[in-house]
Amino acid sequence: MSAPTQAPPQAAAATEPGRVAAVWAFLVRTVRSPVPRRLLAVPVVAFVVMLLVFIVAHLLPGDPVTQMTATNSQITPEQVAQLRRELGLSAPLPVQFGDYLKGIFTGNMGTSLYSGRSVTSLLGAALPVTVELALAAWLIATLVGVVTGMIAAHYKDTWVDGLLRTSATVGFSLPWFVVALLGAIVFGVELNWLPILGRMPNSLNYQPTTGFVLIDAVVQNRYELIWPWFQHLVLPATTLAATTAGYLTRVTRSAFLDARTQPFVRTARMKGLTERAIAVKHVLRNSAVPILTMSGLQLGSLLGGAVITESVFSYPGVGSLLVQAAERRDYFLLQGTALTIGLLFTAVNAAVDLAVLAVDPRLRRD
Amino acid sequence: MSSPLSGTASPVGGPASASPVWSGARSRWRRRTVLRRPQAWFAWGALALFVLVLAVGPLIVTTDPLAQDFAPLLPFGSPGHLLGTDDLGRDELARILAGGRPLLIVSVASALSAGLVGSGLGMVAGYCGGALGAAVMWTMDVLLAFPIVLVAILMVAVLGGGSGNAIVAIAVSQVPYFARLAKNLTVAERDRDYVRSARALGYRGTAIGLREILPNLSGQLMVQATSTLAVTAGLSSALSYLGLGQDAATPDWGYMVKAGQQFIFSYPWLCLLPGLLITLFAVACNLLGDDLRDAVSRTPGGGR
Repeated sequence: MSAPTQAPPQAAAATEPGRVAAVWAFLVRTVRSPVPRRLLAVPVVAFVVMLLVFIVAHLLPGDPVTQMTATNSQITPEQVAQLRRELGLSAPLPVQFGDYLKGIFTGNMGTSLYSGRSVTSLLGAALPVTVELALAAWLIATLVGVVTGMIAAHYKDTWVDGLLRTSATVGFSLPWFVVALLGAIVFGVELNWLPILGRMPNSLNYQPTTGFVLIDAVVQNRYELIWPWFQHLVLPATTLAATTAGYLTRVTRSAFLDARTQPFVRTARMKGLTERAIAVKHVLRNSAVPILTMSGLQLGSLLGGAVITESVFSYPGVGSLLVQAAERRDYFLLQGTALTIGLLFTAVNAAVDLAVLAVDPRLRRD
Repeated sequence: MSSPLSGTASPVGGPASASPVWSGARSRWRRRTVLRRPQAWFAWGALALFVLVLAVGPLIVTTDPLAQDFAPLLPFGSPGHLLGTDDLGRDELARILAGGRPLLIVSVASALSAGLVGSGLGMVAGYCGGALGAAVMWTMDVLLAFPIVLVAILMVAVLGGGSGNAIVAIAVSQVPYFARLAKNLTVAERDRDYVRSARALGYRGTAIGLREILPNLSGQLMVQATSTLAVTAGLSSALSYLGLGQDAATPDWGYMVKAGQQFIFSYPWLCLLPGLLITLFAVACNLLGDDLRDAVSRTPGGGR
């Protein structure tokens, strides 16, 4: 919208009006075509996310200063007023919003009222943990969901299909924290195969460089970190994946069955292709688009599920921080964690949309 | 609401009888309904049992779910405490019976209110279109820019705990899904002949929406509402699990899971039992949703 107004002045100065119209038309066409339009939407949505989180934080009952000074009975009203000024809470709302935006871009999002540490450093430590967990769960869910969905489609209307569909529905209905708990009881307590608390034993004295253990193990040349990290990751990741896997089984099954009835499959069969070639080259490729879209969109919902799974396993990610912050009304921390999850969600969804556009040329045509 | 839907599952409404040329279709149709039956029975039965037990149970088992007996962590089958006691010596059976009510009330109320508000907004957006429709759908898209768990947690953080606020928080997170569905369905109906003739007869927009269009959307919206019930059940129990739903004194399955979790190594059933009941409820809702979806898509014109 604002992009076209920037370009024309030079063009108009140098040439006749026809050229201006052409440039304008080109810009409009570019903005309207799918890929740039999706890219341009990202900053807009990100801004809206920032604005909403700011509004929510200001709607929270009780302001941070009241909470900070609640335990201190000797504080004078002047000190309270000064504290409020220092935190920038006495300024008018638009000024506060400006400060908040500046803070986001300079990495200064205030201090956690409870732990006294800066929100940025807490988030910096927690973000890689959540990303690892969500990605691991997403890989498991996609793999399991697509494979079982293909099997169910192949054995359509037999007992195999019925069994897989029912278990998919059950898996899809399982609330995140209940699966997590069942996993913890069965594999952590009864069988005692896997650890159920935290991300890494303290005895290993892990000092994050990037926060991603696989990368850190290479960078720090400490390969002994990987196995305990993996053991701690297995339960949270698989229990988080269960719901999504059930959902993707259903999506894959119907996408496969749908693609199998398309005219191009009949054409391929008439051309004399083998059933295997039809399945791989035509059915799989054409059903990939809905599967990819749905599985990608689930990556976003896994970020939400991670909030709950992390709390069950005391996994030190952004979700644990968010829940703590909401429980304790930790103003700046809640603002920071909500913002992080919201922006991550926005970025993931945009990336998925672009990936889908890259895979399916039909969607790129306007 | 459900009887007209299940009524259409009879052979008359099926696609099989509509096209006798399609050989094998009748047996395929029968196989599918036979396969669906046990699940549908399970779903209806489980939900009816839930409602019955949660409504009547606390009247029969009159033990106070909050009374402490100074006999903590008794096992199953203890005299006077059929399901044992929790860590504070409170009767587990009474707590289980009382603790399901918040889940049932919050999940049903939030699914219903999300359905009413979302369908209303979606129908207005779809029927009126223009700037109003764009504004409504844009607001819905903004809500979808956050994970639903985050929306619910933030709403509860702002509003505070308690059943009423949990209902609002969960409903808000589900409104966009209904709005999208209702808008798309309404756009498809808007220019059909029956709507045009109603318009030509001079009916007002609200009358056309409620009396002409809504009956044609109700099947799909019911399916959506039933599936949403499973989601709202999961969300409401998750919120109380996280300590953001009910206050700690009210017995509530989600919070009981949380409280029992510290005894996971020694007394795992304390968190297992309420956890399994929540799961059973959610599974039953989803199976019911599947069954209704099948029934609606078999209705002539219903699966558009």
